[in-house]
Amino acid sequence: MFALYRKLIAASIRSQMQYKINFVTSAATTGMIMVLDFIILSAILYRFHDVVGWNIYEVGMLYGISSASVSLYRLFAPEINDFEKYIVQGELDQLLIRPVSPLLLLLTRNLDLSRVGGLVQGVSVLVISLSGLAAEGQSIMGLVLFSPVAILSGGVIYFSIGLATAGVAFWTHQMKDMLTFTIYAPANASNYPIGLYPNWLKWLFFSAIPIAYMNYLPMLTLLGKGGEWFYPILTPVAAASAFYFARMLWNVGIRHYHSTGS
Amino acid sequence: MVYWRIIRKSYRRNLQYRLSHVVNNVASSIFGLVFIAIWTGVLSGKQVYGPYDVKTMGYYIAICQSVLWMTTFLSPGLNVQIAVRSGAVSLDMIKPVHYLWYMLSQEFGRLLYNACYRSVPIGLLLGLAVGFFFPSHLFTYFWFILSLLLGTYVGMLLFYLAGISSFWTTEIRWVHLILLSLIFGLGGQMIPIDLMPGMIGKVAPYLPFSAMIYYPVMTLLELAPPYGMLVQAGWALALTVVALLVTNMARRKLEIQGG
Repeated sequence: MFALYRKLIAASIRSQMQYKINFVTSAATTGMIMVLDFIILSAILYRFHDVVGWNIYEVGMLYGISSASVSLYRLFAPEINDFEKYIVQGELDQLLIRPVSPLLLLLTRNLDLSRVGGLVQGVSVLVISLSGLAAEGQSIMGLVLFSPVAILSGGVIYFSIGLATAGVAFWTHQMKDMLTFTIYAPANASNYPIGLYPNWLKWLFFSAIPIAYMNYLPMLTLLGKGGEWFYPILTPVAAASAFYFARMLWNVGIRHYHSTGS
Repeated sequence: MVYWRIIRKSYRRNLQYRLSHVVNNVASSIFGLVFIAIWTGVLSGKQVYGPYDVKTMGYYIAICQSVLWMTTFLSPGLNVQIAVRSGAVSLDMIKPVHYLWYMLSQEFGRLLYNACYRSVPIGLLLGLAVGFFFPSHLFTYFWFILSLLLGTYVGMLLFYLAGISSFWTTEIRWVHLILLSLIFGLGGQMIPIDLMPGMIGKVAPYLPFSAMIYYPVMTLLELAPPYGMLVQAGWALALTVVALLVTNMARRKLEIQGG
């Protein structure tokens, strides 16, 4: 299974690397646009020092993890994010008649390499934040070790949300507007401490759209903001269970699928 | 009036998407709520210079999110690049209406739809969160509408210029993204531009991006500087001239290539 995935993905990368210049410019632009967003946040915190007790480096930890995670998902699963076209235009039928799982096929069809820029931006923000925290005299060993776990788990969480949204699209036949609600708005929200938000939003981010487990919850512990010792363990656990549920929903949806017959 | 007819038609075409836009409006309001929450967290318990206390900032962000749907969330390149790619542009250019006004009318119809089905619902939803702001003078409404229309016009021209650049390039995607970042970075979407540090805070009020977001919002809040409308009108004029010139250049290029 994995060997097959590697083969197909390698082919996809090879085909995209025919256009090296395009890859470099698109990745750079994506990264630059995301950096600008962070600069505005820095401007605010430069003036007002902190937001509910989180200084720029601490917010930067949240921001970097969230940015890198969402970029990871967008890098590896552009076809999941763009799944609406498969249902609307009946392209899914071609995938269903092949001897491999349609999900694997979707994941190997395409990589959105421009998202590497977002990944670099996220990791850069993390590095800056970590060095800033170190300069403040915090011990950053735990944070450094935990960051890759958080980014990977976050990537899986976003992927699960995307997959669940695609699963629902089997019934609703549209997904683009839904994604704003399930991915884009939460991705923006998870750049900052979730404790800021109204209660109903908090609940949402701890349950149906579980982005709080990716960065906010473990950072409460690792940055010494009164989190319990086991919070960081919840990060991969939440990612695994989100994936399990999303996969279930997707499977139910695909069984329910009726082709448009075109 | 032929342009009014184009506007009406374009408005009606957009009515078909009402339902999916309801979901989108809720999501868009969440963006607003996030910014409001950040500012509440930043400002609570601090001494703030100028008019920006928690309440005013809440109003600012709420109005901002509504205004964005009129002035900033336009069609990439006003769809000029699509017509260029498909060749339809040559048919549009020989129509007995001026190409620039034709494209702007199309877009404006869509924006009127946005005003009714995006700006108003989002404004109401966010108003529930931060309270409703009513200006103290009746005249403010008039100035606000004027400022909003100027902002919309400036926005449409900038997007049009991005779109018409496709006559000379193959991709407008990056031009569009860069334009969008400039608007979000310097237009006052997340932070009122007079709060920006250093040089940026000094320059930003005179750029066309602030004409699109910052001045309309501040006009409604009755906090806009007196020269705000001048900056808007100045850019509207300057960009009109540029757009007309570039349209003529594009038309000539079309003639050279033989339509």
